[in-house]
Amino acid sequence: MTSTIEVHNLTKRFGKLIAVNDVSFSVTENKIYGLLGRNGAGKTTLMQLLTGQEFATKGTISLFGQAPVENAKVLQNTCFIKESQRYPENFRPKDVFTTAPWFFANWDPKFAERLIADFRLPLNRPIKKLSRGQLSSIGVIVGLASRAPLTFFDEPYLGLDAVARHIFYDRLLEDYANHPRTVVLSTHLIDEVSNLLEHVLVIDDGKLIINEDAETLRNRATTVVGMKTAVDTFVGARKVLHRDGIGGLSSVTVAGLNESERRDAKAAGLELSPVSLQQLIIQLTSTDTKEFEVSA
Amino acid sequence: MTTTNPVLAHPASPLKRVTNVTRLHFANPWTTLGLPWIILGVILAGTLTIWWLIFSALSPTERVGALNGTEFGGSSFFIFIYMMVVAIQAISITFPFALGYGVTRRDYYLGSSLAFIILAVIYTTGLTILAAIEKATNGWGMGGSMFAPIYFGDSALGRAYVEFLLLLFFFFVGAAIATVWVRWKATGVTVFFIIVGVLLVGLIALVTFTDSWFVVADTLVDLGIIGVASWSLVITAISAVAGFFLLRRATPRNSA
Repeated sequence: MTSTIEVHNLTKRFGKLIAVNDVSFSVTENKIYGLLGRNGAGKTTLMQLLTGQEFATKGTISLFGQAPVENAKVLQNTCFIKESQRYPENFRPKDVFTTAPWFFANWDPKFAERLIADFRLPLNRPIKKLSRGQLSSIGVIVGLASRAPLTFFDEPYLGLDAVARHIFYDRLLEDYANHPRTVVLSTHLIDEVSNLLEHVLVIDDGKLIINEDAETLRNRATTVVGMKTAVDTFVGARKVLHRDGIGGLSSVTVAGLNESERRDAKAAGLELSPVSLQQLIIQLTSTDTKEFEVSA
Repeated sequence: MTTTNPVLAHPASPLKRVTNVTRLHFANPWTTLGLPWIILGVILAGTLTIWWLIFSALSPTERVGALNGTEFGGSSFFIFIYMMVVAIQAISITFPFALGYGVTRRDYYLGSSLAFIILAVIYTTGLTILAAIEKATNGWGMGGSMFAPIYFGDSALGRAYVEFLLLLFFFFVGAAIATVWVRWKATGVTVFFIIVGVLLVGLIALVTFTDSWFVVADTLVDLGIIGVASWSLVITAISAVAGFFLLRRATPRNSA
């Protein structure tokens, strides 16, 4: 296994605010990573640090084995699509697709054309006059057609409708299969992308709280459903992530179960269901209401 | 686990990386080339109309030398100020855009500087051609002067030299202001102008209290427009270098 990104004890402070707090992780080559977390958790800052757009306060970053800051050799392998990308004055989508190939050696014009048709993007309308979704689709098209060895998508689909988002997921998977590359995708729409992600990084309040293979993560918790008494007996002293109940029925989410525990549960007449990635992350990152209101 | 080397099959050469940024500034030349020439064209048309109105109200004998004073006009001066705006706008908007494309700050600044120099050449050439037409047609047939203002001297070469240096001056001062904006936003630009203002007032005070306005005037007269334009290179160079170092530590932020 080779790693595209290596991060050690990375910290970024803005005055008193610690946007990224002592984060260490590595990103394996040719995998799709999900960078998840709530608003203001530090996702964008982390990606800006990785692409040399921000300067680290402490710690080291290595991209393709080298520090990224002002390193053209490394940076020309990257493409960073931001949530609210601004484009040069008077640019039309056409101008974006004319200029992008100059910067991305792997640019595929045919693929770009196909994506433009998929997203029904008007090429000659000034970007200023495009809708939110059309604006996002420009970024998505650049991010995909650039085929940069390391592509970052930061909330790329603000304003894109469900159909367009699924086109994005489909094209990403399809093109990724033919042209493997490393993708880091930050998003709020966790359930939509959960099948896409091979590895999940969850950042909360600047700290990296989950760094796990997506499959392992999905198995980390299970919801046990059944008669309240039976569920309570089974759960016992286990760590409960979430509890719900109606009348005599109970639904409890507990940390991952091994094979024999699963058999025990089945024997006790309980139903087991997997927990969605989104629920799992909500449960792992949820804090009290007060804190939520502050950050919202 | 090992780390890979960059994987691009055809990485761009260092020069190519810089010229790509230059090309980026010309990808949609409406603001940098289209609009300024159109404005200039409109001003020219308006000016010629007014001159023609004056002309047609005069008898043929009165017409001779009627528009002599126009050489003191400065209707083409807006180009210079406009180029400062172009520089500010170009840097503040394309900088975050280019960095998303994996461009380094260094390549971005060098490429943008090259774009400004090319623009200065284009505008100088344009103004020189228009001035030549003006001379050849005896001031658009009416003895007027729009592109050969008296301040820039009366040789075509001298004028081109002054115009080129003035354009460079405004481009790079604009670039420096833009980098201050990119790094510290409105607060930075405000502080910047306060400092510039204080320095200017201080300079004026110094000259006034030492009673040396005549020295300043004599020096300027001695230097002539060519000399003054040459000295502007000092400020141009300082701005260009300052802009480079300011931008090297700038981070693109979306919030305006």
